[in-house]
Amino acid sequence: MPTPLHIVVCGGIVPDPLQTLEPAAPNAAFPAQPSLKNEMMLPAVLDPWAAHALFEAAHLSAQVPGSKVWLVSLGPKAKLQQVMMTIAQKAPFELVAIDGPASGFTDAFAAAAALAATIEQIPGLDRGRLLLFGGWESASRGAGSTLQMVGERLGITEQFQGVDRIAARAEGAGFEIMERIEGGRHQVSLLSSPPAVLGWATGYLPEPRNNPQVGMANMRTIMPALQRAKAAAMNGAGPSFASVRLPAVERQTRIVKDMPPEEIAREIVAWMGEE
Amino acid sequence: MSDADFARPAMDVDVACVGFGPAAAGFLTVLSRALANTSGAAKALESRAAPGLPLQVVCYERADGIAFGVSGVVTRAHGIRATLPDLTADQIPMAAAVAEEKLVYLLDPIGVSHRSRTLRLADGILRGLKLARDSACELPYIPPFLEKDGGMVLSLGQFLEHIGGELMGAGAVQIWPGMPVSEPLIEDGRVAGVRLADMDVRAALTVVADGPVGAVGRRLDLEFGRPPGHAHREWALGMKMVVELAPEKALRPGTVIHTFGYPEPEIFGFLYALPGNLAAVGIFVPSWFRNPMRTAYRYLQHYMLHPHLWRYLQGGKLRSWGAKSLAESGRRAEPFLCGHGYARIGEGSGSTNPLAGSGVDEAWTTGAQLAEAVLELLLEGRPLTKENLEASYVALRRKSWVEQGARIAERARDGFHGGVIRGMAGMALAGMTNGRLWLKGEPHPLADLHEYYRGRIPAEELDRIVADCRARGVPCHDTLMDRCGWPAIPYDGQLLVSHQDALLMGGKVQAPAGFADHVRFRDPELCRSCAAKTCIEMCSGQALSPGEDGVPAFDREKCVYCGACLWNCTGNLEFAAGAGGLHSNEN
Amino acid sequence: MDSILVLAHTEADGTLGKPALEALSAAVALGGELTLGLVGCTVAQASLPALPSVRVLAVTGEPFANPRYATDAAAAEALCRASGASLILAPGTSRWARVLPGVAYRLGGRADTHATGLALHDGAPAITRWFYRQRIEAVLTRAERPWIVLPDAGCFAPWTGATGAAHIESVPVDPPSTRTTWERIEAPAADRQTIRPDAKLLFVAGAGWTKKQADGAVHAADAAALIHNFLERSQASLGGSKSLVDLSGEGEAVLPFMTHMNQIGQTGATPRHPKGLSTCCHGEEPHVVGWRFIAQRRAVNLDPNCGWARGKADVLYIADAFAVLRELNRLLA
Repeated sequence: MPTPLHIVVCGGIVPDPLQTLEPAAPNAAFPAQPSLKNEMMLPAVLDPWAAHALFEAAHLSAQVPGSKVWLVSLGPKAKLQQVMMTIAQKAPFELVAIDGPASGFTDAFAAAAALAATIEQIPGLDRGRLLLFGGWESASRGAGSTLQMVGERLGITEQFQGVDRIAARAEGAGFEIMERIEGGRHQVSLLSSPPAVLGWATGYLPEPRNNPQVGMANMRTIMPALQRAKAAAMNGAGPSFASVRLPAVERQTRIVKDMPPEEIAREIVAWMGEE
Repeated sequence: MSDADFARPAMDVDVACVGFGPAAAGFLTVLSRALANTSGAAKALESRAAPGLPLQVVCYERADGIAFGVSGVVTRAHGIRATLPDLTADQIPMAAAVAEEKLVYLLDPIGVSHRSRTLRLADGILRGLKLARDSACELPYIPPFLEKDGGMVLSLGQFLEHIGGELMGAGAVQIWPGMPVSEPLIEDGRVAGVRLADMDVRAALTVVADGPVGAVGRRLDLEFGRPPGHAHREWALGMKMVVELAPEKALRPGTVIHTFGYPEPEIFGFLYALPGNLAAVGIFVPSWFRNPMRTAYRYLQHYMLHPHLWRYLQGGKLRSWGAKSLAESGRRAEPFLCGHGYARIGEGSGSTNPLAGSGVDEAWTTGAQLAEAVLELLLEGRPLTKENLEASYVALRRKSWVEQGARIAERARDGFHGGVIRGMAGMALAGMTNGRLWLKGEPHPLADLHEYYRGRIPAEELDRIVADCRARGVPCHDTLMDRCGWPAIPYDGQLLVSHQDALLMGGKVQAPAGFADHVRFRDPELCRSCAAKTCIEMCSGQALSPGEDGVPAFDREKCVYCGACLWNCTGNLEFAAGAGGLHSNEN
Repeated sequence: MDSILVLAHTEADGTLGKPALEALSAAVALGGELTLGLVGCTVAQASLPALPSVRVLAVTGEPFANPRYATDAAAAEALCRASGASLILAPGTSRWARVLPGVAYRLGGRADTHATGLALHDGAPAITRWFYRQRIEAVLTRAERPWIVLPDAGCFAPWTGATGAAHIESVPVDPPSTRTTWERIEAPAADRQTIRPDAKLLFVAGAGWTKKQADGAVHAADAAALIHNFLERSQASLGGSKSLVDLSGEGEAVLPFMTHMNQIGQTGATPRHPKGLSTCCHGEEPHVVGWRFIAQRRAVNLDPNCGWARGKADVLYIADAFAVLRELNRLLA
């Protein structure tokens, strides 16, 4: 029987990817760094890669009886609460909330410090059995560097990024871990035992359907966790932004109608051959 | 395997609420507050479904967020303030106190709208007497029934987000978005709960607050019928945009402009100035507008381009867009307000006041009334039976201002079935006499295509245009409006954008994978024989388009759940609950 | 001025890969004292750039042959310390992306990944990188040092010049104990290999391929054959929209060679190719960012209002992609 796992998923929140985003210069609400226009009004979701990590955590924990999943999330409390209404229906977890900015312009270094300090304080967490999960990137900062620093701060030097699969080997013989590398390939490694850090790519699990029972069970711990959430001290040095802007304007699209497929194909082949 | 053999998972709660709109928000706010203060009455408010725990109240919302509702809201906020006396506009983003109110008649600046001779004559007189500026005539007086003095302009999305946040924070009730309720569980004439996609939720009380086109409300109508004489006679599609105004066009937040007369005489419109240099602008395309090729999006663009409004909107940027159906019959379409195990609140329960053009406050109030009634019954230890709910909730509602307003408004729309001028006169008459007098009128079927375009487009050409559009798989209204002389929209990529771009820029529409189409046509033969296919023309998201075999094709990835197809079809269309839709919390 | 370390890992044959040479040219362009730090099983000295003023440091040996966090981090940390560099440029490969942020932490410095540009700004190095999934572009500088910057592949021209490094200083590193064993590389079968990072053309397939066609039926098998033939004949790389790759998880009719690895936009990649051809894509901004870095773009779609193509592509052909691809395959045969 494999040893039960303690899986901590670091998952930030990001603006609903369907929203139109526009940068805003430092202002009263975000004095030290750029932000998004109407940042606090944009509907938020759990970062999509972190969400994959959470679904994988739930899946793995269901396979190893006695395991437990925590979701550690750093974001403005009110926004976290909003996001939990959706995500809490997807997988069982205990929330550990940190009240702080969810901006992509916040330094990963500072986010990692806040996450590591919080994880160290989780009551009952056995660091010897810890698998630290998260997304290998985020849809806000897109850095892919936070988890490594959280790992270092917690002294974990078995780390994997771009993970698409983890499989427990029979009879407690460790885990086979598959990471994405260049050219559509995977690197497969064997991890003999926890603790380890796994930054998830998309994995292969479909998004679980909303389950009202899971939601109701989670909610018993979510509201107290939000009430307990401590404000993260996120000040300290970070990057200086020389410019922050939206990409150049739209292209002038030539729309070709009523051209026979043969002719379209000829045009495309000619274009493909151009240098 | 029959459905009965299938062991569907089930769970028990005390109260299951369907839909999170203003009615459910009112209901849950009152209930939540009482549950949080149960010191003296803890036992009475204990859960029967989960003994030892407090009352288990869950609310399931179809949309992916709790703030994805759409409404052009200017409200007196009587009921909302009765529940939340300390609420002020500055607590909610995008809200402002009503500062200034205008009622404006819009003349036709380009001479193509479908106006009667009388109306054209009236326009001529107004112009001749130089009473019109920018092709508009501001009325010197706003009838009291329309006035929103002392009220608020709101973004329904932001309002619901605010209320939802408070509710979740208090922790006494749960709201679950992204969870469509497919149908009520009806057992021996009573509602025993609701059916979700993968699970049954059994509840002592099911609160139906899923709006005018909600699947649960409509199923109850089918099952239990309506009180004699009650029916949905009038509908409208409301379509709106939230516009970021150019900096130099700043309008005083709280400025409210109601309009009528343009782009077609039957179409009402509004512009509300919100804080942050934003404006909500929209139109209502009613069911009594007899154009079988009626549409909302193209008309909304012409509306915004009217000189009276364009002077504010020019240089603006589209921030958000949305559409919804409005139950314009109000109390005339009221269903049975309660039955064994269920109660109905909000717009789907006939609470909208079509005379005042007000629905959010009324919906909220009916929700609050139900909560008060439920609390009273629970505290007195009386069961939530039909009789008890009637004696409490219905009685409370009947003696309230919502009911009084609804009765006055009950026949105010009737005159519109006899024309716009008669309709306006009927509204005024009903308003001025507190509903004692009105002008009669009965709904007609939509005009025949050839009849509507007679004198404008020769029959043969009309047939050719329609056939050509259908062959190209596009709706007909754009080509027909072009042909009637409506000018091309000068797209600017900011505010004047194509319909599809509005879907992408103005809120985003998404449908999660793995769900079946929620719009289906029952009898393909009926569709093939339907000449107008108004469902396609009125579709807010262009989700319906001419299909290969004469049956409209449905693309669920573009559906915004406005429900217009439902009342623009003669009963051949199924409209089920589904996840996804519009993602905007600013509407 | 910063002293710069170009930190690279060698390929199996001990040479430098293209991404490493790109980082090197970026460093050379920036100017300043330059060190080359190498990690790998071996270093092919003769293949290294002949830059007389450049110091070359290396950590070599069997334990450093394959990518693993513990050994790579130890090697990179030792090289950074030995070089004393304040700015470290390292190619944004999967191997370095895994370890260098952690190494930055060990060094008391900072790391920034996915740099798409590097230039001096008021005399100090500044990087360009994208935020919010390639939707907002920023230029940033940092006061903290050492600063590790990982440029994305394809953003700088690879260094070209004479080879044959003069001298390699070996930096001794005791391999740390690790619970990770490198096992193997898994690559798709040759006929399923559809991701070609160096291809001139990115071919993007949208969910439209698996939807009902004009005759009311789904033709997924036809679509698969057409696309597969096209990829074989054109040697294009294959990208898929999120909705198409998601379908593979939902058990619907899909293209057998399409996986999440092919996804572009949203949670997928944002690859760099000179040209892109999208077919049957219906989408919005978050999807469209998938071809943010495609220079020339064309699209085939039946919907003239397609948000993926309008304003995003240079040419939009309103046509049936099945018919167009059939003709393309005929011409390319």
